[in-house]
Amino acid sequence: MECVVQGIIETQHVEALEILLQGLCGVHRERLRIHEICLKSGPNLGVVASEVRLLCDLEHPEPSWTVRHIGGAMRGAGAEQISVLVRTMVESKASKNVLRLFYALGYKLDHELLRVGFAFHFQRGAQITVTVSSVNKMLKLHATDEAVPVTPGIQLVEVTAPASSENYTEVVAAMTSFCEYLAPLLHLSKPGISTGVVPSAAAAAASLMSDGGGTTL
Amino acid sequence: MVSKKAGGKLLSLTTSPCYEALAAEFPRDFLGISLPEQPNKYYFIIRGQRLVLEADSSIQTIMEKLQSYKSKVSLNFEGFQYQLGDFQLRVGKVVPSHSENLRGIVMEVEYLPISSIEKSRQIMGEFFELWQEVVSKRSLPGQFMHMEPNFAEYGLGDLYTSQHTAVQYATVMAQLIATVQAVQAVRN
Repeated sequence: MECVVQGIIETQHVEALEILLQGLCGVHRERLRIHEICLKSGPNLGVVASEVRLLCDLEHPEPSWTVRHIGGAMRGAGAEQISVLVRTMVESKASKNVLRLFYALGYKLDHELLRVGFAFHFQRGAQITVTVSSVNKMLKLHATDEAVPVTPGIQLVEVTAPASSENYTEVVAAMTSFCEYLAPLLHLSKPGISTGVVPSAAAAAASLMSDGGGTTL
Repeated sequence: MVSKKAGGKLLSLTTSPCYEALAAEFPRDFLGISLPEQPNKYYFIIRGQRLVLEADSSIQTIMEKLQSYKSKVSLNFEGFQYQLGDFQLRVGKVVPSHSENLRGIVMEVEYLPISSIEKSRQIMGEFFELWQEVVSKRSLPGQFMHMEPNFAEYGLGDLYTSQHTAVQYATVMAQLIATVQAVQAVRN
């Protein structure tokens, strides 16, 4: 299970966001270069159609693979009242021929993306991860060296934290509290709910850049 | 000198062949294997494509959620582990998870000082010959068969790993299933 919120920020303000995150998180950022391959089950495979994501971390000399299954979101009146999406999510590290395995099992490529940016991993009431990345599409199959931005000038910000059915309320509270600090630069909301860029982002970014994050927003 | 590991039952390996019978172009079955020496790992093998995958044990949860394949047969390899000098032996019976029918007996021999398959081939061969000689003198029914898979076809190198073990157990599984089917055909 995980808790997720997303938002967008103009690329010109990413540096300011990084300064803010550096100050809030107290850890160094990690570079991010993830090739995300979304596979869907072919016709007549299984009782229901299914989708699985393979993530290839290209940042290190030896690429590493992760299999991710994202399940349904929590529903009900309680879920609607919270500003964070809570959904089932299962991950597994896998050896490098995992793509070949899923192709052999009858899965087909639905789409692929290359996410390039950085991430902060820190503990603040919950184990929170903030990723800031440009989302790029590949013009040729699996050609990560020839990827182009899907939305030039705009980057995706994602805040996630692992949770369980026992502690998700605490995780949601920790994430909500943290996200408030980012409000001057970007709006974060449940995936699928578009909020656009923040009007005050330019001013907030300028303030951060002028004194390196010393100003309290 | 043979010492038996204290604690009784030590070796338990579960395999779950998964079948999908709806689309002919996909593998009808593939094998999933968990090894006691790698409790956080799980292995998938598609023998027809010479493919072995090592993953976290959570991959089983992912496959269950995908519902594209379902588990049909699950076999347990249960027995004991012995230390015989530099050799580690595991001898176990093969039984379906929900049955007491004995499908076979599996013996796993590991020569601990060497990880290179080629460098250990001679001493492993000599051990197996000695074993066959001892077993033959006991007039036990059946005989041990060893069919080494072509590890290179699976993309595995000379350095022995848990993936090699998984491939060997997959080969053993296939042998057991083929033997059971052959016996059933004769009876019918």
